[in-house]
Amino acid sequence: MNDYIPTTVQESRVEQPLIEKFSRKALEIIGEDNVSSDQADLLSTCRDFWPVNSIWMLEGSVPALPQLVVWPCSTEDAAALLKLANELKVAVIPYGEGSGTMGGVVPIYGGVMIDLKKMNRIRSIDKESLMVNVECGMNGALYEENLNREGYTGGHFPQSLRCSSVGGWLACRAAGQFSTRYGKIEDIAVTLEAVLPDGTIFSGRSVPRTATGPRVDQLFLGSEGIFGIITAATLRIWPLPEKRHMVTYTFENLEESLQAIRLVMHSGARPAVVRLYDAQETGHHFPELGDKRCGLILLIEGNSKIVDAEAAVIEKIAMAHGAIEEGPTHVEHWLKKRFDVSVASTLFQKGAVLDTIEVSANWHNAHSTYIAMQQALMAVEGTMLASGHYSHVYPDGAALYLTTVGFPGDDKIGFYKRIWQAAMEACLAEGAAISHHHGIGLHRGLWMKDEHGAGLEVLRSIKKALDPNNIMNPGKLGLAEVSTWQK
Amino acid sequence: MAEINQVDLEQLLNCALCPNLCRCDCPVLQVTGREAVAPAGKARLAAQVQQDFMVWNSELLEAVSNCLGCRNCTVLCPFPDLNLCDELLYSRTGEKKAGFSLPSWEPYLNNLKRYGSPYGQKTADQAVKVAKEAEVVYYAGCTTLANNPGVLDAAQQLLKKAGVSYTLISEDCCGYPAETWGDLELAGQLAAENCRKIAESGAKVLVTGCPECWQTFSERYPYWGHELPVKIIDGSTYFLNLIKEGQLKPEFIELKKISYHDPCIWARTAEKISEPRELIHKIPGITIEEPVYNGKETHCCGGGRMFQLSFPVTAAAVAARRLNDFSPVATIATACPFCREGLLQEGRKVLDLVEILALSCCNEND
Ligand SMILES: Cc1cc2nc3c(=O)[nH]c(=O)nc-3n(C[C@H](O)[C@H](O)[C@H](O)COP(=O)(O)OP(=O)(O)OC[C@H]3O[C@@H](n4cnc5c(N)ncnc54)[C@H](O)[C@@H]3O)c2cc1C
Ligand code: SF4
Ligand code: SF4
Repeated sequence: MNDYIPTTVQESRVEQPLIEKFSRKALEIIGEDNVSSDQADLLSTCRDFWPVNSIWMLEGSVPALPQLVVWPCSTEDAAALLKLANELKVAVIPYGEGSGTMGGVVPIYGGVMIDLKKMNRIRSIDKESLMVNVECGMNGALYEENLNREGYTGGHFPQSLRCSSVGGWLACRAAGQFSTRYGKIEDIAVTLEAVLPDGTIFSGRSVPRTATGPRVDQLFLGSEGIFGIITAATLRIWPLPEKRHMVTYTFENLEESLQAIRLVMHSGARPAVVRLYDAQETGHHFPELGDKRCGLILLIEGNSKIVDAEAAVIEKIAMAHGAIEEGPTHVEHWLKKRFDVSVASTLFQKGAVLDTIEVSANWHNAHSTYIAMQQALMAVEGTMLASGHYSHVYPDGAALYLTTVGFPGDDKIGFYKRIWQAAMEACLAEGAAISHHHGIGLHRGLWMKDEHGAGLEVLRSIKKALDPNNIMNPGKLGLAEVSTWQK
Repeated sequence: MAEINQVDLEQLLNCALCPNLCRCDCPVLQVTGREAVAPAGKARLAAQVQQDFMVWNSELLEAVSNCLGCRNCTVLCPFPDLNLCDELLYSRTGEKKAGFSLPSWEPYLNNLKRYGSPYGQKTADQAVKVAKEAEVVYYAGCTTLANNPGVLDAAQQLLKKAGVSYTLISEDCCGYPAETWGDLELAGQLAAENCRKIAESGAKVLVTGCPECWQTFSERYPYWGHELPVKIIDGSTYFLNLIKEGQLKPEFIELKKISYHDPCIWARTAEKISEPRELIHKIPGITIEEPVYNGKETHCCGGGRMFQLSFPVTAAAVAARRLNDFSPVATIATACPFCREGLLQEGRKVLDLVEILALSCCNEND
């Protein structure tokens, strides 16, 4: 047997006899093909793409181990499993595709991993109202491919499209790269189906809007598995675009380009992709553009007449802000490379610590937050690089995405914590929100109180009401009662 | 063979540290839903052993072996030098090998040792020597001989019709299953036997209709230190050339439309994508209806890396998933005995290209 010393916070694992009882009953519900205590299965579901997991992996340690893995194949299976877990007071963690970047699936108190990948069907497509009903475990790229074959797009393209699930998108309030036109996942979601911790199945109404009190379905968006399992969703879809227009502009500096984008958003134009890179990232991603100016890539798509009109409006605004037009090739290059994150593998092996930190700011502090966070990151000893881009924009502000790389020597975890502390403090001091789309998971829970203030107690109360036994993904979203994972 | 099957740890770690970007392309993951058999999932487990953080046990070996060798993960992989399926194979058979096999593989390894075929006596009996001093050796492969010897009959009809001087040899398995199940010594012995017999035949060309045999002869034999003294050609290219040279004259047959399933190795390793299609187009009256994934992006039939014997349930599930890419009424043509075997379910009609060509070129009176 291989010896594992869980590296972190696994101090109060579920008692093994309870797990065994759960396992026996689960076998009756979902059959032997769908229950496993195989070491390979436990090891493979204990982590996500939180960089700390990569550091630990290279050191040969695991963050924490689940005690069992189960695969529900239907909503009814999921309901029966949660009812059982609730009766036995066994912690359960929903597992999508493990692309979360914040340790959201790390089973810090052990328990049962509920892997949702066997719930992966498109149940129906409503071509009249442009909606699709899809199960939570469907892979993002396969979802999009299936829709494309029918002549539609789901409009949701996170960089993790190929390695994330529909349920994961909803659970983390994800944002796709084409979000300025199609919306974030909360705009795309019409409603959802979820299993509550006591096994009750909740199903929202697939209607465009309601004024029937607060919407219960929306409570699950961003809940990261703490309120129940999102088992399926009704999502909006669009006919495949008739025309695509791609263009790159460069600007003298970030302030000027941010002004231009703000006015574009105020004009009513809605390009699908708006990505503005600081000079450093412009030089890195598009060496031909040099590293002196800030590159803005734009992709406009949809009805051809509307696309032409939007392109004209945008061009006028860009030119008024001193832009130089660079044609479509850089956008084409970005389209080809947009899912490539190979640099992470390479750098981690070289001893680097690398992470990305995305926050949400209004126009008045979009630039100052960038400056403050970049300076805070660079001030941490060991940091080699802190660069940024804006990847999602709104009439009222933008998402700022910083990438940081450091070579801290042996104390990688300490360094990791220090860069986050520096970045989060700077972000909060500027009045920006601590996450735009990667969510909270385990790690960013450390700043949830600063982010939410009294709101965190509201969340805690809802959690207690829905999940009095605290079985659902305990310790996440900043609600940990006991945790050795500290700042 | 101490120096072979060495893991490239940097590449394996590149994969272990990747967020599983090709998980949507991995048929094994897609049918099992198991994170442990996701591409990077397997790499992570293998890497932990290669770095001495863990030791092999049957659970780890079972997970890491859950790779069809289909190379669909390479299509969009950002690491051009990474061949995950090779690294996984090397991790369990190279320097830090498992050193034991899974109980379900044992009977097949025993068959290989006893009969030179994982399928046992049945296949060995098919081995017949036909002629001496021939130009061409036709090597059917153990899976064809065991599951569909009709392909060998069809190939022989075509070779006779074209007037080719050919021979068969008393075939030993090419060695690929032995390597797959971790017995490199046995793989080497089988390779040596085949090299000896082929050399003795005096032939200059070896034609095989089995992509796994082709890959083993052309890639693994040199790697294992065994050089075949012949030119190795895949069946589709060889028979296409016979048509082009006028030695075979395809005639109209009543098939109208067929869907060609690209076997992974032919499409992604040998890059034989146009040849089988060109061959089909040479048969009067047939048009091709492409399945959803085709050419370099083909999806595996579930038969790679001996899955039909090693992991039969997963193999069948991968095949069933692949069948969804075809029209339900399509006649499926392929050029691999594993693909034919796998796709022959749900009452589907599946033929090997050699069988179709023989129907078109060789009438009953031949
Ligand atoms: C390379 C890379 C790029 C990324 N790019 C983006 C991006 O562009 N935009 C973006 O928004 N995010 C991005 N992410 C973050 C991540 O992909 C998203 O958060 C994604 O939505 C997570 O989906 P998943 O299926 O992998 O979830 P997991 O990692 O498996 O789970 C994430 C959390 O959600 C919970 N959960 C999962 N499924 C369910 C369910 N059905 N019901 C209830 N809870 C559930 C889990 O318990 C966990 O807490 C990126 C990640 C990586 C690695
Ligand atoms: S094979 Fe390539 S794309 Fe797939 S998980 Fe490994 S590194 Fe990532
Ligand atoms: S070779 Fe095929 S089965 Fe193996 S990991 Fe790659 S995609 Fe999966």
